[in-house]
Amino acid sequence: MTVLNRAILPALMFCLAFAPALGAQEKTALAIMMAVYQRPQPVDMSATLTMTLVDSKGKERPRSLDQRLASFGGVDKKIMVFQSPADVRGTSFMNWSYEEAGKGDDQWIYMPALKRVKRITSDGKGGSFMGSDFSYDDLGARHPSKDSHVILGSDTVAGEECWMIESKPKDPGDSYSRTVSWISKNRLVGFRRDYYDKKSALLKTLSVLETRTMGTYLMITKTEMHNVQANHRTRMEFTAIKLDTGIADEQFTERAMAKGL
Amino acid sequence: MNITKRIMPSSALALVLLFGTVAGVAVAEDGVALSGYGRAKVGSLLSDGSLFLAETTLDARLSWETEDSALFADVAVNERQGGSPELELRELYFRYSGDYMEMVIGKQQIIWGKSDGVFITDIVTPKDLSRFLVPDFVELRQAVDGVRLGGYAGGHSLELVWLPLFSPGVAPAAGTIWAPVMPYPVTPTITPAAMPELSLENGEYFARYSFLGNAVDLSLMGGWFWNDLPSFAVTGRSLTPGVGLTGIALRGEYYRTAAFGYGVAGTIGPLVLRSEGALQLDRRYQGDFAVYPQGYAAKNAVQYLVGTDFSILGTTFGLQFIQDLILEYDDALVNERYTNTATVMAVRNFAREALRLELLAYLGLDNPDALLKAQLVWKITDAMELSGGTWLFFGDSGQFGQYDDNDSVFAGAKISF
Repeated sequence: MTVLNRAILPALMFCLAFAPALGAQEKTALAIMMAVYQRPQPVDMSATLTMTLVDSKGKERPRSLDQRLASFGGVDKKIMVFQSPADVRGTSFMNWSYEEAGKGDDQWIYMPALKRVKRITSDGKGGSFMGSDFSYDDLGARHPSKDSHVILGSDTVAGEECWMIESKPKDPGDSYSRTVSWISKNRLVGFRRDYYDKKSALLKTLSVLETRTMGTYLMITKTEMHNVQANHRTRMEFTAIKLDTGIADEQFTERAMAKGL
Repeated sequence: MNITKRIMPSSALALVLLFGTVAGVAVAEDGVALSGYGRAKVGSLLSDGSLFLAETTLDARLSWETEDSALFADVAVNERQGGSPELELRELYFRYSGDYMEMVIGKQQIIWGKSDGVFITDIVTPKDLSRFLVPDFVELRQAVDGVRLGGYAGGHSLELVWLPLFSPGVAPAAGTIWAPVMPYPVTPTITPAAMPELSLENGEYFARYSFLGNAVDLSLMGGWFWNDLPSFAVTGRSLTPGVGLTGIALRGEYYRTAAFGYGVAGTIGPLVLRSEGALQLDRRYQGDFAVYPQGYAAKNAVQYLVGTDFSILGTTFGLQFIQDLILEYDDALVNERYTNTATVMAVRNFAREALRLELLAYLGLDNPDALLKAQLVWKITDAMELSGGTWLFFGDSGQFGQYDDNDSVFAGAKISF
């Protein structure tokens, strides 16, 4: 999982104590990305996510959803429940993703009007997440071994001295031809990522707008994805964040989806 | 008219006042939410341009939730075809939730079964088929009065349902464009079915076990209940010398039946595979008068489906094959031994989900006929949407082809709050 991927949905969690350990390692691009991927992180989290879609004229369409996620021995479980807009209030998604290589996610949707939980296909991850500029791929886990990484150089973003690391997928069928990530040298956190389409043209830019330290974790609490080709944006902001509260496996069920969080 | 849908004016007024009072008092309370929608919808036959659908609806839902209990009410006001507004109590229930159990008492929708547009294991909640299958499926389901108990342990759940009061389904009314072709040689005189008396003995009972896990979702259910739609018993025949049968009298009868079913779903690669099935005991089928003087025969029947869902280039597809099978079949029955149907569904979103295209086709495979439902929904804002579409029937006979003259278009506007 890359640092920016983790930044978005579970908010970015990064152990500050991890940075010095990397300093002793050879700073290859893969080592940096692996260090970010393997960082310690909370076992569980709950938060409210506000996702604001902004069109090319600046018109905003906000969405609000509550989410709960936790890890259980190689299985990451997550429930998201929409609070707004009104026509989708109560709609919930549950996703179980597996560390096991080659095992696809299990996903379910609950629609309050239909009053039923239905298993849905987890394919099509390159598609838009809820009409936003984030794809499901952008939000999900991605192991660094799926890409070839090269350090392009250094740059400064938001006052942070960063490595610029280019990642090219080994599978030519992936959604992007390449990405370029800006990783803070001091904090090992991603502050920006550029996504390039199949024709190698810049498609989207992800920017970190706000970070917050919670206990031993550095949380990215506000991000923005800018689709430069369509000129629209999506902002994501996490509030009411709670970490390591002991969320039980029994809270990721059909009943939880129907009742809400 | 369905008695669960029509409410006497005084009761309606009382309900409005009650709802309004509760809503007003509750505004300042935590845990209270008011939501719903207003909608106008019109539909016109392509054949002659007549408006067979013109309705305006205000649907208000009020919920009041505390940590372990909730009160929920769903009340709708409908004006149809320019008639007087009708008040409809869609749901009104109380819910108590513990860590491992739940109890829901009152008028509620209980939806079982997870297939698209097919109701094989959805055996609790009756359907309003007064306009066949053309309304949104959300609107087909009716609430039932009763008690639902749920027990939960991890991914396992057990539901028990007791309905002391039978709620029948709604069939298309005679004289409407959705009235089905009657399987009788002459137009019958029909005495409507009488409702079962309210008693413990006449209650309906259902149970379902379900499991949701990483490998498979499984559910097993059973029920002992009244068939939602009545059978018709022959109570008299008129024979005219030299002409033959010139009249027939029928009496509707609700009857007891039982059903046992299953549902299973799993993910294999990019596919979700699903199956549902049910065995219904002593289901009544219309039969030849010469063989069955009462006009029907009770047979066991099996209905099942296999289906898959998948995505290709941003479009979500759902395919289902459904088979109805009458056990102990004989040629005197009006129905065929096998009835094979398929459904094809496709949904695609455009413009950051501001535009949604939905297609659903029912295909009769034996005597080819079909129903195509197509709809385009444009979300002007998050609260307001416009929709338009068509319902097209193909074939000359069969469950879909019999409505070949009902090809139509519709348009609607909806505001959610």
